[in-house]
Amino acid sequence: MRDVSENAIALSVNGLTRRFGGLVAVDNVSFDLPARRLNAIIGPNGAGKTTLFNLITGEIHPNAGRVVVHGQDITGLKPHQIVRNRVSRTLQIKSVFSGLSVGENVRTAVMVHEGLVSPFRSATSYSAVNNRVAALVDQVGLTPHMHTLASALSYGDVALLEIALALANEPQLLLLDEPVCGMGPQETEQTVRKIREIAKTVDVVLIEHDMEVVFAIADEIIVMAQGAILARGTPAEISSSPAVQEAYLGAPEEADL
Amino acid sequence: MTAASISRAAFVVFAAALLAVPTVIPMLASPFWIDIAAEILIWSLLAASVNLLLGYVGLLSFGQALYFGVGMYGAALSVIHWGAGFWGGLALGILGAMLMAAIAGSVAVRLTWHYFAIITVVFSLILYFAALSAKPLTGGDDGISFGAPDVLAFGDVRLSLANQAVQYYTILLVVAACYALFGLVVRSPLGVRFMAVRENDRRAALVGINVYLTRYLAFVLAGGLAGASGALFAFFGRYASATYMFYHVSGEAVVWAIVGGTGALLGPLFGAGLLIILREVISTVWEHYLFVVGALTILVVMFAPRGLAGAWRDLLAAMTRRPPAVAAAPSPPGTDAAPSTPSANATQGD
Repeated sequence: MRDVSENAIALSVNGLTRRFGGLVAVDNVSFDLPARRLNAIIGPNGAGKTTLFNLITGEIHPNAGRVVVHGQDITGLKPHQIVRNRVSRTLQIKSVFSGLSVGENVRTAVMVHEGLVSPFRSATSYSAVNNRVAALVDQVGLTPHMHTLASALSYGDVALLEIALALANEPQLLLLDEPVCGMGPQETEQTVRKIREIAKTVDVVLIEHDMEVVFAIADEIIVMAQGAILARGTPAEISSSPAVQEAYLGAPEEADL
Repeated sequence: MTAASISRAAFVVFAAALLAVPTVIPMLASPFWIDIAAEILIWSLLAASVNLLLGYVGLLSFGQALYFGVGMYGAALSVIHWGAGFWGGLALGILGAMLMAAIAGSVAVRLTWHYFAIITVVFSLILYFAALSAKPLTGGDDGISFGAPDVLAFGDVRLSLANQAVQYYTILLVVAACYALFGLVVRSPLGVRFMAVRENDRRAALVGINVYLTRYLAFVLAGGLAGASGALFAFFGRYASATYMFYHVSGEAVVWAIVGGTGALLGPLFGAGLLIILREVISTVWEHYLFVVGALTILVVMFAPRGLAGAWRDLLAAMTRRPPAVAAAPSPPGTDAAPSTPSANATQGD
């Protein structure tokens, strides 16, 4: 589906900086993430991981630096414009349209992606949209819950629904913020399986605290601490890095944004 | 019988009842009640404009009386100064209200929650006082009156608002058209965006919705509904007055919408209907009828938080013995019903 050369860059961040008052949440961060890899960002609480995601998706504007996705500079665009540039994300606290059914949730995302805004035609009358909705719901395995209200889903299924919403814009880059946070072992396994599957066709970057998950699925890991990149490497390299061990075990955790 | 078919049957009965009002009411009661029915239809559109904002995009406006007032003056002034007819006056009233909403909304929808509620009040107060002081144009709180133009003049056939039945059917026609349009919009892809913004504005932005623009469109459309209400009320009373721009009018519309049920297409019609009829009945025997309205509103909010429409939906669900979430499953694609989509209850109420 995608036309990506072997050494293409999925996400390039250059000199990205964000200050909140006196605190530098993201401090001159630069990295290139190769395409077709499952990249993970780890780090202690307050390392700046979520702020980094917020900067990439335009929810927070950087004080300095650029964000380039698949060669396209998206710095300074608004969140909904960045979504149109085929960047999607999920949130640490699962975020769906809880008063709508699973089908309506996904239909919303698909219709917006298709640029449909007609104020008169029935939203359910677009057969191409209906097919795509069915396919996406099926892809995340929620077909039996098509007509269930999102608020009535189990936590793990809400996470899957959120992934379906994130896939609706046919993303080239998918950012997952703690996808298995708060899940039991079974739900974790279900979600990890889904992420692995998605990563075959979409460039995935995930933030995760569950080290078992990260080391199991990531091709490459970036370790952040205090707003900066501390280390980078394969799971094997990271697990043996003394600097990383110190960040996790030695240094006291600091509260930050 | 499924919930959808009961709803459909109830709607047919209700529509027939509305059509029968001018014929049946004089047999049962004073023809005065035909005018009350007309008034309910008119005011329900103001409540519907609150509903469009609160029930479909999640914005609580306490300033819809402003657009009602602009609609009122748009109709009255265009008849008085430009010799507009009924339809021209109605159109100008609606357009004027939408224009006003387009101006106020460009600022207001940047805010949400109480900030939004406050700024809508502030806008309506500013324009209320402006209208009061522009007495030569608006007549201030005395208002201005005018002779109602014909609804239709074609050769020898002249339909005049002076005829009570003609007036009622004209109002019914316009109000029904407004609800039909409203229903069309909230079921459309645009309506899908509205509800996404209501449910979760952050996620809405993260699926690519321009949240500001979506709220803005809803605000302008709601202004149009309030404007239609105001223009109709001007023709109904042959009168326009700045007093109708005061915020207690806005507040009343919010109460009607909440009692009727927000997020339900016809909810505000039933809220306005119930409370206006109560007012008419009780105020003849007890001047403090507002106590009853207040008590009733508190009861509805406590025991039927989704209003009359929600209570109707719960009743249907109980009758068809399926919990609400599952009840939506077997309905046709056009009617899959989340609690806040209008389809399941669009037809509530006999």
